[in-house]
Amino acid sequence: MGEVDLDFEPTVPVFDANVALGRRHDKPVAVDTADGVLRVMDDSGVDRALVYAPHAVTYDPRDGNAMLVEQIGGEPRLVPQFVCSPVFDRLDDFADEVEAAGVRSVRMVPGLHSYPFRDWVVGRWLDWMADTRTPVWLHTQWQTWLSGGDNLDPRDVYETLKARPDVTAVLSEVKYDDISWALSLLRSLPNLHVEISRFVVGGGIEYLLEAAGESRIMFGSRFPDSAMPLHLYGLHHSGLSDETLRAICAGNLDRLLAGEGDRP
Amino acid sequence: MNTPVIDFHSHIARWERYGHYDEPGRYLRLMDAAGIDRSLVSCIFYGDARRNNDAVAEFVAANPDRFYGVAFSTPHYPAEVVPELERCFDTLGMKFLKIYPDYFGKPNDDPAYFPMYEFLNDRGLAVKAHPSYPFDPPGTTLVRRYAALAERFPGVTWVLAHAAGSGSPDAIEAARAVPSVYLETCGSGGAHNGVKASVDGAGADRVLFGTDMPLLDARHQIAKVTTADISDEAKQRVLGLNAIQLLGLEL
Repeated sequence: MGEVDLDFEPTVPVFDANVALGRRHDKPVAVDTADGVLRVMDDSGVDRALVYAPHAVTYDPRDGNAMLVEQIGGEPRLVPQFVCSPVFDRLDDFADEVEAAGVRSVRMVPGLHSYPFRDWVVGRWLDWMADTRTPVWLHTQWQTWLSGGDNLDPRDVYETLKARPDVTAVLSEVKYDDISWALSLLRSLPNLHVEISRFVVGGGIEYLLEAAGESRIMFGSRFPDSAMPLHLYGLHHSGLSDETLRAICAGNLDRLLAGEGDRP
Repeated sequence: MNTPVIDFHSHIARWERYGHYDEPGRYLRLMDAAGIDRSLVSCIFYGDARRNNDAVAEFVAANPDRFYGVAFSTPHYPAEVVPELERCFDTLGMKFLKIYPDYFGKPNDDPAYFPMYEFLNDRGLAVKAHPSYPFDPPGTTLVRRYAALAERFPGVTWVLAHAAGSGSPDAIEAARAVPSVYLETCGSGGAHNGVKASVDGAGADRVLFGTDMPLLDARHQIAKVTTADISDEAKQRVLGLNAIQLLGLEL
């Protein structure tokens, strides 16, 4: 008979690398308040979560980032991540806002925001990220009823990050059907990390360990679009060493936010 | 906890583009890691139903204590349907039928499937399929579709693949309205409280655990049930007891 864990709790500290906080215009959100997210974190055994505002993705980064700070309300378990867009070149203001809010990572959504992730568009922003050791999450696809799905172009990621080894980046929400390029991209770019929220392909963690190694993999849930504990359960039932589990569940994200991403 | 765990939705054969490999050793390792006793496997990739079913029979024969076979049929070659179904259930010992309406280009209630449904109806068997079709006319609902199918084929059990993980209100309503409808959990997403909504709405006895292995990871898929905010008794029903009862399995 199958041995299953019906009362699962993580055995290591957990820092979720992909949580959205706030309402969306295109659909109801299952849990849309800081208190609600904290309750689910408690139920799931998640200590901290890196959170961004969906409004900052779908409409305006400046408005959304301000809303995020307001919603977090100083709660230390919710670690803010700002969304940025190079559409208008307001990097200096953005850098001030990041510093004032104590933000240690940013998220870019080139697909939905409709720009190529190429140096001639994002070069100044990447300079700033390298100088401040601020890692950037690259959102692979943002789906809405309106857009259907705007994809990050992996060719852009390869060309740009290959020439920018001093920039630390994270593939975010890479999907099971992105396996056709994602593993090769991770093998090719030592400065590229991955959060696993949508990478649900069979044997996925083993594929990622082979392609990227344990130091470049991070637990992420994609809450509230996805349930928070699913990957945690999977990771705890994958025969990983305690050291590897600790790295993937929290240690690697802590290291990145401290400005200590892998660099050649 | 030790409890029977039956994967109602898994596959064999190779699909390189998705990293879909069915090497038995790897397959069994992932099943063991997730705590799955047995998987019900189908093969749906080949245009020739006989080739699919032979592949399943061979795969199951190599590990008969871990796998059950699931039959496949295609509406594109209607003359082959009934003889192949007879072979699947009378000779190969398969447990239910899997069809693939959205890949066939015909919605689930297209008359092209009726010879299959008539066969299942006569024998009191189940069919599993994706429950909706991208080109359904506006106003199509699962409850209307399956109420009509159940009225015409009362002996068939309808398993709606991928319908329980999201807590889809349409699927839950169909299960409530049609006693022969079951909802299955697998899918690449995994909505917050999706399985709970399905269990609360349709009943714990009407939800079946599935993985979509080896396309999707069994360890992630089973967590939708093991970590759901439902009773342990409900989890046990969903994980295996319902499948055992529905298919008359003997472990």
